[in-house]
This record gives sequence, C-alpha cells and structure tokens, in this order.
Amino acid sequence: MTGPTDFELLELAAPYALHAVSDDERAAIDRQLAAAPPSVAEAFRDEVRAVRETMTAVSATTAAEPPTHLRATVLAAVRPDTASSRSRWRTAILAAAAAIVVGLAAFGAGIAMRPSPTPGMAQQIMAASDVRTVSGELGGGTATVVFSRGMNAGVLIMNNVPPPSQGTVYQMWLIGDKGPTSAGTMDTAAVAPSTTDMLTNLGHSSALAFTVEPGNGSPQPTGQILAKLSLT
Amino acid sequence: MTTAVAESLSYWSMTGPRHSNDLDALLYRVARRDADAFALLYDHTRTRVYGLVTRVLRDSGYSEETTQEVYLEAWRTADAYDSAKGSALSWLMTMAHRRAVDRVRAEQAARQRESRYGASAVEPSRDVVAESALAADERRRVVECLDGLTDTQRQCIEMAYYGGLTYAEVSQRLSANLSTIKSRMRDALRGLRNCLGVT
Repeated sequence: MTGPTDFELLELAAPYALHAVSDDERAAIDRQLAAAPPSVAEAFRDEVRAVRETMTAVSATTAAEPPTHLRATVLAAVRPDTASSRSRWRTAILAAAAAIVVGLAAFGAGIAMRPSPTPGMAQQIMAASDVRTVSGELGGGTATVVFSRGMNAGVLIMNNVPPPSQGTVYQMWLIGDKGPTSAGTMDTAAVAPSTTDMLTNLGHSSALAFTVEPGNGSPQPTGQILAKLSLT
Repeated sequence: MTTAVAESLSYWSMTGPRHSNDLDALLYRVARRDADAFALLYDHTRTRVYGLVTRVLRDSGYSEETTQEVYLEAWRTADAYDSAKGSALSWLMTMAHRRAVDRVRAEQAARQRESRYGASAVEPSRDVVAESALAADERRRVVECLDGLTDTQRQCIEMAYYGGLTYAEVSQRLSANLSTIKSRMRDALRGLRNCLGVT
C-alpha cells in the first residue's frame, strides 16, 4: 500500500486544524498519524496546536454578544439537580408520568414498557455524544429541546412561557410519519417561569409541536399549533 | 473572584496563552461538576464563542443552538482538557469552530454556502461588543495582522475557516490546484502566527 509521504501528511496539518477537511479525510489523517513515526506525529500536533492558538487570537475580531436569554438556557442545562430546580423536577416527572398514563389510554399497553424518566436520564441525555439542541418561541417565551436520538429521549426547557389559562393545558406532540402523538401535557400549575420536562420515546418523530387543549388534553391536537421545533 | 478572572482574561488576551492559568483553573473546576465555575466560564468566553459561531453560521437561531451545544460539550468533556496540549480558550474555540462547521455543512447546500460566502467576504465585523480599551487594542492588533496577509491568503482562510469549506472545495472554487491552496493556507497561518507572536 502506498500512503502519502510524511511531508504530505504534515502539509495537511493546517487544513486539519481549520476543520477544512471532509470527515473521510479526517479519519484517514487520524489513521496515518497513528501509524506515522513519533517525530512526524509530534510535528503534526505542534502545527495543529499553533494554528488553533493563532485562530483563537483571531477570534478577538469576531467577538459578538449573544442574546441574554441564552445564559439561562445554557446554565439550566447543567443544573438539573440543584435545590432550586428540585421541585420543578418533581413536577416534570409527574407530568411525564401523566403523559405515560395518557399514552397508555390512547395507544395500549405496549407503552407500559417505557422506562420511567428520572433526573439521571436528563444528565445522560446532556452527556450523550449525539446531543442536539433546538429552540423556538412559545407564547412570548422560549422553548428549548435538548435531545439525543441515541437515547431516544429529550429534555424540554421552557423559559418565560406564560402558563395556559385555567381549564386548559399545553399539550406536546411528537410529529411522525403517522401524524402527531401526544408527548404529555402541562397545566397552569405546572408551568413556572423556568420549567423542565422529559420527552421519552422520540421514535422517528421529526418535530415537537405545542397546542393548547381543553381539560386534561386531547387524543389528537384540536388547537392551533403554537410552536414547532424541528428534531431532524 | 469574578473581577480577578475578568482582569486576568483581558491580560491573557493581550499577552498570549502563558497567562491563561485562571481559565485553566475554571476548566478544572468545571471538570469536577462545579456549576458556578461553569457560569463563570460562560460569562468570560461567551462573546468569543457566540461571535465565531455566528460568523460561520450567519443565522441567530442556529448560532444560539450551536453555542448551547458547545457549552454542553465543554461541560461534558472538561475532564479531557489537557493544558499541555494548548490553552483553555483554544480548546473551547476549537470545539466551537468544529460544531459550527459541522452545522453549516449539515444545513446548507453548496450553492447557498457560496452566496453566503459572497455576502461574508465583503463584510467587516459589525457586531462590535462593548469592549475594554485592552480588548479594543487587541482587536486592532489582530486586524493589522490580518491586513498583513495577501488577498489570496486571506481569501483562503475566509472560505475555509468562516465559510466551512474543505480545502478541496476551496481549490475548486478558486480553480487553483490543491497544493497551491495548502501552501496559501500554511503561509497565511505562519504570517498570522508570527505577527501575533503565538508561540
């Protein structure tokens, strides 16, 4: 097998450090590095380090202030078990449990096999290698879903979303090939200025939608879709 | 504590990675699941991270999501940070850039990327943050170094680093051969590195 020479490998250090190689090429370079003489691998890593330090210095020219609400969302994601949010977690777990009951009634006993959501699960989602986040506006506040396809689950974080009016609930719907499936409801008492909830069994759903539904929720959405977050 | 970190960060940004110990210390605390340290890390790095991400993605919604992912990844992987392999800020910015590039490649067809590059190529950095005199001075110094590059060198860095293109795509767009593009990138980075005094 004829691989590129050490010189050719070193020439790729700059594009590699700039993430200007394709995924395949990156994997090939990593393999070559693993097989290269230690001095070559070290020279490559030195070059990569220097390029990254250089571009870090250059990032002074692109600095920009993020929206202020981003701080709360970022920090909420790593504080799921602090004292201030413990009661919210209990609410979240109860809401998720209620969602399972609703799900059971609508879709039969198979759903009883769902694992029960716990704060530990939220942390596992945050820690998943395929973790993704998606945000959207909901009733003047922000709804964010942090989810992992690998874990088949997500955490919903709502900031400054006003509670639904008495006698109605927010209902969440996972939109899949076969239409919407209820992913739980939140009543007036469940919606605090910062509310967290679990989403289990994402399945093949492509989006999470929110509606207002009467009473304790509906088997199918009857209200207008207030927000739709893409999970693809 | 907050003020001390802020001051040392400004000092760091003036003088290079030798003085990044305080950010290092924050990252070690983050690795031990210290949420207060994580909040400080966010406060002291957010404009750099969000600024770079938004420069690449050019969409505030995507940029917010990607910024969140960057900090989640930092929280998750802080224990893997090794100060012997580079500065703490570089570790974080590398993560931010990688995620922004992955996102731009996932979101955009090549044609859209091209038009986005067209817009970005002529655009001076406009979302100027409220900055200290030290930070303003540093920004000016970096801009001078960027101005020291040739147009073709700068174009390569723009297209690859901010446009999210691979060096092979850059060579196609510019109808230049691969080795030419690799040399331009290398020369641009060496020029910047020398000008900025990065060791």
